[in-house]
Amino acid sequence: MKHTIILTLLIGLTVFPACKKVLDVPNPNTFTAAEFWKTEADLQQGLTAAYNAFYKQGTWTRNIYTLMDGNGDDGTSLAGWTELQEWAKFKYTNYDFFEMGYKIWSDHYKAIFRANQVLDHVDKVTFSSDENKRRITGQAKFLRGLYYFYLEILWENIPLVLKTSQPSDAPKQSGPAEVWAQIESDLKDAADNLPDQWTGVDKGRATKGAALAYLGKAYMQQKKWQQAKDALSWLVEGDGRQYYDLIPNYGDNFTNANENNKESVFEIQFSEVYATGYDDDFSSTSNLGTQHAMNASPKGLGWNNIQARRWLIDYFKREKTIDGKNDIRLFTSIWYDARKNDFPDQPDSLVYGRSWTEDPTWGSQVFIRKYTSKLNGRDLEFYWNDINYRLIRYADVLLCYAEILNELNHGPNALAIQCLDRVRQRANLPLLINSTYYNGAAIEGDYTAFGKHLQIERGLELCLECVRWIDLKRWGLLDNQTGIDELKTRDPDFNNFVLNKSYRLPLPQSEVDNNPNLTQNTPY
Amino acid sequence: MPANEYVSIGKKAIARCKGLLLVLISMSVIQLTALAQTLQVSGTVRDGKGHPVEGASVIVKGTTSGTSTDANGRFTLSTARGSILVFSYTGFETQEKKVQGAAVDLVLRDSDASMGEVVVVGYGTTRKKDLTGAISVVRTENIANRVSTDLAGAIKGLAAGVKVTSTGQAGESSSITIRGIGNLTNNNPLFVVDGFPTGGGMDLNLQDIESIQILKDASSAAIYGSRAANGVVIITTKKGKEGPMKVDANSQVSVNWLPRYKLLNRDQYIHFDDMAYDEAIKAGIVTHRQNHYPGNTDWQDAVLKQGIKQNYNLSLSGGSRTGQYFVSLNKLSDGGTVYGTSFDRYMFRVNTAGEKGAFSYGENLYFLSTRQDGMTGNPFADLISMPPTVRVHDPLHQPGGYGFGNPDSANTYALNPVAQQDIMGVVNKSNTIRGNVFAQVRLFNALTAKLNFGYTADFENDNTLRKRGNWTMGQANDDDYITKSMNKHQTLLVENTYNFKKSFGRHDIEALAGASYQKDNTEDVWTTRLNPLVINGQYYNSLNSATGAQTGGGQYGEARLLSWFGRISYTYDDKYLLTGTIRRDGSSRLPESGRWGNFPSIAGAWRISKESFFDVPFISDLKIRANYGVLGNANIGYWDYIPVMNTSPRAVFGSPETVVIGTTQSQLVNTNITWEKKIQQNYGVDAAFLNNKLTFTGEYFIAKSKDLLVALPILASTGNNGGNPIVNAASLQNKGIELTLGWKDKLGDVSYGVSANFTSIRNKVLDLGYGKVTNYTFLTKAGIGQSLGSFYLYKTLGIFQTQAEVDNYKNKNGTVIQPNAKPGDIKYDDYNGDGQISSDDRQIVGSGWAKYEAGLSLTAQWKGFDLLVQGYGRFGYKIWNGARATAGDFANNNNTFSNISPWTEQNHSNTQPRLIFGDTRNSRGDQDRWLENGSFFRIGEIALGYNLPQHICDKLRMRNLRAGITATNLITFTGYSGLDPDFKDTGIFTLAVDGPSYPNPRSVLFSLSFGF
Repeated sequence: MKHTIILTLLIGLTVFPACKKVLDVPNPNTFTAAEFWKTEADLQQGLTAAYNAFYKQGTWTRNIYTLMDGNGDDGTSLAGWTELQEWAKFKYTNYDFFEMGYKIWSDHYKAIFRANQVLDHVDKVTFSSDENKRRITGQAKFLRGLYYFYLEILWENIPLVLKTSQPSDAPKQSGPAEVWAQIESDLKDAADNLPDQWTGVDKGRATKGAALAYLGKAYMQQKKWQQAKDALSWLVEGDGRQYYDLIPNYGDNFTNANENNKESVFEIQFSEVYATGYDDDFSSTSNLGTQHAMNASPKGLGWNNIQARRWLIDYFKREKTIDGKNDIRLFTSIWYDARKNDFPDQPDSLVYGRSWTEDPTWGSQVFIRKYTSKLNGRDLEFYWNDINYRLIRYADVLLCYAEILNELNHGPNALAIQCLDRVRQRANLPLLINSTYYNGAAIEGDYTAFGKHLQIERGLELCLECVRWIDLKRWGLLDNQTGIDELKTRDPDFNNFVLNKSYRLPLPQSEVDNNPNLTQNTPY
Repeated sequence: MPANEYVSIGKKAIARCKGLLLVLISMSVIQLTALAQTLQVSGTVRDGKGHPVEGASVIVKGTTSGTSTDANGRFTLSTARGSILVFSYTGFETQEKKVQGAAVDLVLRDSDASMGEVVVVGYGTTRKKDLTGAISVVRTENIANRVSTDLAGAIKGLAAGVKVTSTGQAGESSSITIRGIGNLTNNNPLFVVDGFPTGGGMDLNLQDIESIQILKDASSAAIYGSRAANGVVIITTKKGKEGPMKVDANSQVSVNWLPRYKLLNRDQYIHFDDMAYDEAIKAGIVTHRQNHYPGNTDWQDAVLKQGIKQNYNLSLSGGSRTGQYFVSLNKLSDGGTVYGTSFDRYMFRVNTAGEKGAFSYGENLYFLSTRQDGMTGNPFADLISMPPTVRVHDPLHQPGGYGFGNPDSANTYALNPVAQQDIMGVVNKSNTIRGNVFAQVRLFNALTAKLNFGYTADFENDNTLRKRGNWTMGQANDDDYITKSMNKHQTLLVENTYNFKKSFGRHDIEALAGASYQKDNTEDVWTTRLNPLVINGQYYNSLNSATGAQTGGGQYGEARLLSWFGRISYTYDDKYLLTGTIRRDGSSRLPESGRWGNFPSIAGAWRISKESFFDVPFISDLKIRANYGVLGNANIGYWDYIPVMNTSPRAVFGSPETVVIGTTQSQLVNTNITWEKKIQQNYGVDAAFLNNKLTFTGEYFIAKSKDLLVALPILASTGNNGGNPIVNAASLQNKGIELTLGWKDKLGDVSYGVSANFTSIRNKVLDLGYGKVTNYTFLTKAGIGQSLGSFYLYKTLGIFQTQAEVDNYKNKNGTVIQPNAKPGDIKYDDYNGDGQISSDDRQIVGSGWAKYEAGLSLTAQWKGFDLLVQGYGRFGYKIWNGARATAGDFANNNNTFSNISPWTEQNHSNTQPRLIFGDTRNSRGDQDRWLENGSFFRIGEIALGYNLPQHICDKLRMRNLRAGITATNLITFTGYSGLDPDFKDTGIFTLAVDGPSYPNPRSVLFSLSFGF
């Protein structure tokens, strides 16, 4: 019996002494947030993650191009995906449509969350030099300002999230005035802190010029012309002038050769270093390339989610170069039926090795050629390519400057005309005053005419580069029926445009539904 | 048959009965005359627990002389030696005993096996009649001949309050929901197999199962406190029995097939697609019709197939009084019903037990090996979206050679399901060892100490071979690659219990105290290598043969659970029953601040039928019970409360390009989470009538789930990525009733039983996390005070027949509501009356929450034949038919159903709009046109068996032989037009959203079993 009792105790008391400490199980997989954000290197990595946000479908690798160019009068969509096509034509059925509105919205806020994490910790860390701290702060503010810039352009009434988010956050909605003020403040801070240039392994990071260029654009959207001039003058007339110029060959702006050149004010650095994979946030070999070309390339070769409008051909062709030829920017920018005839000097007018008539359905369609692999000498799109996307080119800055000066002086002064002519001359066009098509003297002598003419010049020089929609909003063409009627003549998509409605997107419905502080843009 | 024939048959029957009566009487006479001397006989009548039974009747057989027992269960009477005494008492079996001496003691047996049935409760057993909680017992004979090879599928429709939804995919498990949704993350109950709480249980061999009990309420489940919020399923596997070795063999072969859509063929498709393009041309969306591909494909023929499923079992069992064994083997091979899918399984089990004096031990060991050739994508959407003009194989598309869309011929991004299976081959293999061993010592016949060790190890091995080729338009020209991933998951359990059981007079006391410690850990490793070796089109599936870049990754997981628990039960005179339970748990999955939870419960029952004042002859047993208890749940990830950094992001800078490492917090985390609790009250009544022929159990319960741990969707504007963080968010309430009614009787040679169960549960959201008052998804809305699963959609009001109707459709201010609509377009309800259709016009248009669920089963035996018919159904709810939404009236060139009859100038349909390509105005998913009544009743199973008569078996030296045929899911009564109204929900906020889902297969199964 004694043995049985001992055995009973042995059997019965194995677990009872277990200590509560056994429940402290550390996570061996990665840093916890409490262990991070301690050193300058940590902040540098946090900043890199904010740059990484560029390689997401909803930021700059996929359909933001369809949306920005599709909304403009230079682009349209014949995408096989009906809903996608509708979103490029002001037809919004499902406000939460994942591929366009929702993805672009959420990926932009993911980027902002990353920038906020850096900015919230920048004062809690000791830096090896004040310069390093300024550089990190400047870049994080630039990125946040940049992402808010596009959110504001697309949706206007958006939440301003400026601190590291908490799961329970239901951020309140801000109107354009507040959002623009924040964008100005971020970009001003960025301009104050960023270096003029980066070298070597740092090339491609945000510079003072990039911050000032976006700051200038932000002011322009609000018609704050003087502040806009102050921001851009550093690049055009000030110290920054030394870093920027137009490059001789227009086409070099859209290839992977000659990247980060003098014309580039800010460009996204794409790479093919990781050949496959997607934009998975939790894989260290996610693709760092862009799908811009896959998205745009012609029927049968790519998704053809976005293509060009035919008026570009007519507008380009009505003015000849100083040697009487067609504008090479037409050849570079788009593919269309008569291209071979229009540019007999060009050795290769094939579309990825195909003649125009090979596909009978191409007909009078116009495809985007900028940023395609064809410009890199490939005859196929491989889903991704590595051509850096130039978000702001110096040509854009010069034309903006011309516009600002025209506004400030109620007519173009010599510098305004000079800025415009620099862009024209690079395309081998005569000075505006000597144009074979336009009445240069009349245009240069009149505030309204010059402003209207800039709309054409910008439309051609910067076609299909995601700037047209921003411009149309600024020029007020979306504010009245006259403007819409003009746009309809170039782009029938504007038949779907509803005044006082279509100038901004419907907010993602799930965000409106689940955030009591967010109201849907009226009258969606 | 004419009436007079009835009469004659009736007469014959009486004549035959008369004969029988004569025989009986004469036999009694013979017996009486054979008896001689009288004897004074006395004895005690006791019940199964040894309590004396008062008032039992004792009668000498064939006479009217007799007596009844006194308060001490004693009786005395005079009768002849060799005479037979007949003992009877309400609620117990009538028994006979031959008088051979002066003392005749008898222990009464409960009259029905189910009443005396021992039910396994947590860490012990109890008689079913002594239950104070709500427990469903599933009869294993009801599941042995089912086609389903997983446990959940096998118990479908057999227990009240237990909802099982399944998918017919080879090797995929069903899911079980007990008493409605009380939880937003994982509603699967806890499985306890042979006393070992485990995540598994679904993968058991059905033939190995001895019994299944489902603990549904708080008091029954409280002993498993922390993990019992979703209920507990206790499974006991078979044990050997004393005696010579028994061999049982069983083989089943079934033919399985899936239901099909009725789709358009090539010519019909082209006819309607051209119509849709003609409308699009008018609208300026396109300029010409499609130049259709030359194919004529029936995609269902290409993808769906008849699957042959074979299941073989062999078991050996036996033993002595002090040692028993049970050994079984199982092989299952399921050919799959979808192209490229299959499932194979091997199982092996050894259960042994032994004892020496006060010491005993037991062991259950189980090995399982599976191989699943999985499915890539969801072919049930592809079957609709693929135009029949696309060929399965198309040599124009190289590499690969598969057909898919083209902007000119079939402008669609639909996926070629055959290509998907061929190009992306996924094979999952797993090996599982699960077992437990226990040692037990009994002291003074009252106290038992037990030590139980449990261990599970799962080793999973997934192999993906991505060949070159494409399955959809505009797909990346991806490299081929091999991915190998391995996952190891181990669980270790150590448990001590003390069990005390003693009767003092009419007092029965049972007490339990115990402690348990469980540790789970996982380790994952994966690697991918590009460009496997290909020789003559044959891929080499080894990493070494591949030549491209290699990447890899892996992670760990670990969780621990420490618990103490106790239970005390007290019964007085079988009339009053009281049980109290407490459990305290600590989980490493929760932060220190919220780590510990207490889960008490109390239950009582009163057997009214035992009271002396209770005298209703047709009621054999009547018991009422009530209980209250708290259960918990922390079934979340390993470290969901710790925010971590993501070191994956990269960026490139510089010239030449340099990759730079980034780190950020991608996923937001709530650091202060704690136990989710479920507080439940249960009121029940058990009754048996007419000598237990009729049994009834009724339950009413109110369950409140508080602080539910849920990955509640948070706003995209937070920038969160990588999944929504876990939060103690919502509170839900489920109120319901469950009724189970059984009838058992004999009709001549036919013995039969009918059992019906009925469940009705009302669900209400009491609170949503983060201070929210509503939670929306694309199709549903859940608001405080409302039920989950309300469909929140645009309401349709028919179709505009004329332009005048469009122009006259105005709000009260005279604004034309749909100015852009054309005749043939859908008229949407301007719910808020603002003169336009916008997101504010969505409204609640139906509920996905079934009002009633019911199950019905019928069993019958006649001579050697046995029959089982089982049905189940759900009633009073709506289903969103994703198949019809996918078809979408040609907006995307998807195929559609052959009953299409769209609006045209000639055909003024008021239900089907005009067809138009490239315009989603009529085909949006969030409209009520896709809602349908989901009610159904399905004859899930009809099983017929024949048992060879015993004398023939004996000649063949067999114990038994049974041959059977089972038809599954052949008959369904429903108005739902989708493939199957009974599908697996995709999430609790999207109840009754049929995606389209994988339907349940129909099948016919042949089985043969024998033992010797």
